Amino acid sequence: MKVNRYALKRNMTGYLFIAPQLLFFLVFLVYPIFEGIRLSLFKISYQGTTFVGFDNYTALFSNPVFVKSVINTVVFVVAIVALTVLFAIFVSSAIFDKNAKYVSFIRGSYYIPVMVSMVVMSMIWGFLLNPANGLIPYVMRELELPAVNFLGNKDLVLPVIIFVTFATNVGQAIILYIASMIGVPKELFEAAEIDGANRKDVIFKILIPLVKPTTLYIIIINIIAVLKIFVVIQLLTGGGPNNASTTLMYFLYNNAFKYNQLGIASAVGVIMFVIALLLAIPQLRTMLRKE
Amino acid sequence: MFKRKNKRKLEKFDLVANALVIFFAVLSVFPLFWLITSSFKNSAAVVKMPPDWIPKTFNYVNYIDVFNNQPAFRWAMNSIIVSLVSTVALVIVSSLAAYAFSKLEFKGKNVIFIIFISSLMIPKEVMIVPLFRVVQDLGMVNSLNGMIWPNVATAFGVFLLKGFFDSIPDSLRESARMDGASELRTFVKIMLPIVKPGIGALFILFFVQVWNDYLWQLVIGQEENVKTLNVGIATLMQDLNPNFAYKMAGATVAAIPMLVIFVFFQRYFTSGITIGAEKG
Repeated sequence: MKVNRYALKRNMTGYLFIAPQLLFFLVFLVYPIFEGIRLSLFKISYQGTTFVGFDNYTALFSNPVFVKSVINTVVFVVAIVALTVLFAIFVSSAIFDKNAKYVSFIRGSYYIPVMVSMVVMSMIWGFLLNPANGLIPYVMRELELPAVNFLGNKDLVLPVIIFVTFATNVGQAIILYIASMIGVPKELFEAAEIDGANRKDVIFKILIPLVKPTTLYIIIINIIAVLKIFVVIQLLTGGGPNNASTTLMYFLYNNAFKYNQLGIASAVGVIMFVIALLLAIPQLRTMLRKE
Repeated sequence: MFKRKNKRKLEKFDLVANALVIFFAVLSVFPLFWLITSSFKNSAAVVKMPPDWIPKTFNYVNYIDVFNNQPAFRWAMNSIIVSLVSTVALVIVSSLAAYAFSKLEFKGKNVIFIIFISSLMIPKEVMIVPLFRVVQDLGMVNSLNGMIWPNVATAFGVFLLKGFFDSIPDSLRESARMDGASELRTFVKIMLPIVKPGIGALFILFFVQVWNDYLWQLVIGQEENVKTLNVGIATLMQDLNPNFAYKMAGATVAAIPMLVIFVFFQRYFTSGITIGAEKG
């Protein structure tokens, strides 16, 4: 009896400590997830709400703009993640064993664009790329390259968005790689050098394999970050020209807050939720195993 | 002989790589340099080609215009309130919870913790429709409250702080309890001071994250008096006004606080960001 009361009190203390965080979590995260799944099965209009089963989902897959959004999102994810990983490995492997001040300076230079909001970065790039008076079209004219409208050309708009997103986010991956590479024991490099390995061998045969957990982490957090790509689309292209640069998140936003298609928008949200959850599983397993 | 040749080749490879790294680092900060210098030009100089790399005149009238023509001061205040209140609230609730997950024993602890951590990788934006309806039911649309409280529903704080609590020996808590201190007192007086570096990192990282958030603030704050700085200057960008210098001044106002934070707290970013990866 006495033991039970002690256990009860101990449990209560624990629950009271997590209660505030749990409350926010339930109201603003767990409940919306279930509510989102429920809403995705309804047609919601001003007249009322009618159950339609999976109609919203089947409607989505026959909607060409949705299909385009899926394709574009996949293209963005693959291209941006690949560029980010390759470039971050290149930068970090070149500088990780140098003077600390130099490392900190380079790291800072690549991280500063990450600090500034995507809204600001999109505004700057919009100005730099502006066909009438932007700096980049001017430089292209000076180099006698053909005049192109970067954001108005359906073949160029994807590469431009990929580049802008990559350039404004790669700093985070660089910070992660540098930390991870600095942690690799020095003896490994020294041993390799004695065996006659050059820097290229050291980087490709020792460094890159040893930072693989960091690579996996960077890949996952970047896939999830690019999956919700929105600001740069809304501010630079508006999804255009002719839906050439629309994305899942942009499609969701338009359906929810412009066309008032809440059922459809919820279905897109559920699809994105499932994708994010599946992608997160390997990372979660390693995280929880460490606990 | 062979070895020497090898050594020289190695240095050349390293040298070229570092030269490229520096070149790209300069390119990386160039857009921000361009932003700030453009914001001090007049409407003609800002579109002049070839450009003045350093503005010929130091023209701060764009900044006066931003604050006079737009409620930019209100937007800035809103951004500060939203970021600060969200961050303080998250620090309080997540440090309590992280402490419980790390040091206290209670039924269902592991299951609740796993559910918490599983949410870490889910972007809240995908649930924007049901979340909007929740906020609507609470009567918080077009209010700063509606922007603030959903931010606190993240496992980010618990995740970041739990590691700091884990590194404190259990004996410290036990001896404090033995001396008759209550659990809450032990937490506030003994544990919190020890995890200060973790709280610092969480504070800075989350403040910046909320400050730079856009979509949720856009959806909730449609009325002029509740717009945040990012939402406000985004409307400036979509404005038909052709004066780019003026738009760049608005964007600079939104960027400067983050640049200042970065200069002063750089080490928190390096440490805070790497914590997630080390545990992964």
